[in-house]
Amino acid sequence: MRYRDENKMQAIRDCAIEMVAKNGLENFGINRLAKAAGVSPATIYIYYKDKEDLLTSISIEEGVKMTRATLKGFDPNASFREGLWVQWKNRAAFSLDNLLAAEFFEQLRNSTYKDKMREAISLEFRKSMGSFIENAVKRGEINEMPLEVYWSVAFAPLYALIRFHNEGQSLDGRKFKFSESIMKQTFDCVLKGLSK
Amino acid sequence: MSACLYNMKTANHILIFKTNITTPEDRLKVAAVLDQQPFISKWTVDTEDIDRVLRIESAIAATAPIIHLIRSRNYECAELED
Repeated sequence: MRYRDENKMQAIRDCAIEMVAKNGLENFGINRLAKAAGVSPATIYIYYKDKEDLLTSISIEEGVKMTRATLKGFDPNASFREGLWVQWKNRAAFSLDNLLAAEFFEQLRNSTYKDKMREAISLEFRKSMGSFIENAVKRGEINEMPLEVYWSVAFAPLYALIRFHNEGQSLDGRKFKFSESIMKQTFDCVLKGLSK
Repeated sequence: MSACLYNMKTANHILIFKTNITTPEDRLKVAAVLDQQPFISKWTVDTEDIDRVLRIESAIAATAPIIHLIRSRNYECAELED
């Protein structure tokens, strides 16, 4: 009889994330994963029925993990400045600690796996985020605007800094390292831009 | 309660086989025998994988009978070992 082994399952998941992050979806397969994870293909099939099942399940889990990390300590009723700062800190911490997961999501862009992940995370996430923005508009802290405009100003600058950091350089090959003070400086500009 | 006993056959055995079940037609042929087995609660074939892995969730560890069933339909079938 075969038993489920949580440690083995975790090893398989970690290895799958790393393989997809580094080599993309096209080169990913159960047999390659088995070799990389040091288990037999049969072991992987105990947990997942095929490659699609495995990638769907991992995408959903990672998506939920990311949502939880992003919403940690976040209060949708907080003032706009306070709430957005919590968001920045959470997003920065998650992105910097989970480079592979970020790469994994990047590889899944436009795949059916990403759609499934989106379905799984959207409810909790949209509820908190939606009411946060609504509250800020109601209190007159920010203007009403399309979501894309909001996101591009509110978060894209942070992800630009994180990308510079991950690449180790910014523009013209200038060396760059992420820090809380750089983050705060950027945040203050963003807050000024969004505030009424 | 007792009426439920038969349906309570929990699929606590996962049986994994290497096969050459490749096309939808192949799948239909083995479905004809697998779907008839009361101890099988769920089965799938990963036709994308080189080993065409047949995965069976079963109430009993019926490895040999399953190999026999699949081979009786003229397909290869061997247990994929851990």
